Amino acid sequence: MDELLFLRQEVAPELLAGVWMSIKLIVPSAIFGFFIGIVSGVFRVYGHPVLKRLAGLYVLFFRGFPLLVQLYLWYFGLPRIGIYLSPFAAAVIGFSLCSGAYHSEYIRGALLSVKKGQLLAAYSLGFSKIRAVFSILLPQAMRRALPGNGNEFIYLIKYSSLAYMVTCIELTGKGSILANFYFKYLEIFAIVGAIYLVMVSIATWGLNYLEDRIAIPGFGRPKYN
Amino acid sequence: MADQTPVLRIQNIKKSYGDNKVLKGVSLELNRGGIKVVIGPSGGGKSTLLHCINFLVGLDEGRIYLNGKEIIHNRKRELTAYRQKVGMIFQDFNLFDHLNALHNVLIGPVRVKKLPKSEARERAVAELERVGLRDHMTKYPAELSGGQKQRVSIARALAMDPEVMLLDEPTSALDPELIGEVHEVIRDLASGGMTMLLVTHEVGFASSLADEIFFMEDGKIVEQGPPQKILFNAECDRTREFCAKIGRLHNNSS
Repeated sequence: MDELLFLRQEVAPELLAGVWMSIKLIVPSAIFGFFIGIVSGVFRVYGHPVLKRLAGLYVLFFRGFPLLVQLYLWYFGLPRIGIYLSPFAAAVIGFSLCSGAYHSEYIRGALLSVKKGQLLAAYSLGFSKIRAVFSILLPQAMRRALPGNGNEFIYLIKYSSLAYMVTCIELTGKGSILANFYFKYLEIFAIVGAIYLVMVSIATWGLNYLEDRIAIPGFGRPKYN
Repeated sequence: MADQTPVLRIQNIKKSYGDNKVLKGVSLELNRGGIKVVIGPSGGGKSTLLHCINFLVGLDEGRIYLNGKEIIHNRKRELTAYRQKVGMIFQDFNLFDHLNALHNVLIGPVRVKKLPKSEARERAVAELERVGLRDHMTKYPAELSGGQKQRVSIARALAMDPEVMLLDEPTSALDPELIGEVHEVIRDLASGGMTMLLVTHEVGFASSLADEIFFMEDGKIVEQGPPQKILFNAECDRTREFCAKIGRLHNNSS
């Protein structure tokens, strides 16, 4: 009984603050990352050769460097050239760019899977390349990419815990501090893990809902019911 | 009437893929309201010719004139304006898979011609009505039969107000019992005075519609003339042979 009271009074408010910080990290990183992924994915398939190359290099580096190393570079490395980022900003930038590199691959694959005839048909109606990509190809590609993108969102929820390593104290950070302070590693980390599980479940549910909403007959996932 | 300038004039188009010369200098003219049909064995370059005319594949050589004006295809605006004037029907329909029939027809006028949505919608409905699909407007491509898909694609092309239609074997991907409904739509277009260049293997249909037939083989137009001459009285041996074969096939199947 004491235990429960302790958890509710001492641990819960702290962890809740951590959850809030995690959400503040995850949501913008997810949005920016997704957007970066779309743009670089499009560049990699339909961009000017120079853009194609640049986007390819971007993906190479940001998938190639360990995320923790990227975060260290943003937070501890950049001051060397006079740029000082807050822990929060460093984390959001690091997550967005890393996430974007993975999204880019999903989008690229999906764009490549759209039949060539779709682009020809758009051209034959007088669409420019850019307009065809945005009105015809992306709406189809996004539907195919969404399961992969969803996977990346779920990864992001969990690797947001790395923000702790650049002193941005989110859920895992709070958990560590509390666990060290009260010496209750099992209880607190079990709770922290469960909270991530809840966040992941909510995201999964939301993504499934979205997939159903944008489902089109004969296109990728069948619409049940 | 007295309009002597051909709507579309193709001059000496050449196209190779590597060492494979697909088009070896093809020229033809389409007069307003004229219907020309291209026949010939597979691999003879018919489809490539139509794709070249719409600049969907780049030409190695040759010129294309619309209403007497040469099209400079690397001027993007000129190219997209030209393509709006030249409707293209594909063998495998190429409907936009993520859009229902209505939106397939609507998207060109809205996104390319920038028509107000209500006006474009009215137009799209009218075009779908014209091809007999008013009741199927909300269906997605996957829910339509092949014949219906091809009719939607015709409506989609018509909604752009083309001056010429290029039809690339519009019925060759269809089950035999669905060919008729597409032919009916094309016949309807013809009687409305649409200028058309049609690639087909349906010689019976072609001869009833065309004012001239081109026999194309090995990247060249081998022979051209009125349907009766090409189909039954060709000068060139190859043309005669091909037409006899395809005619036999046609008679057997119908």
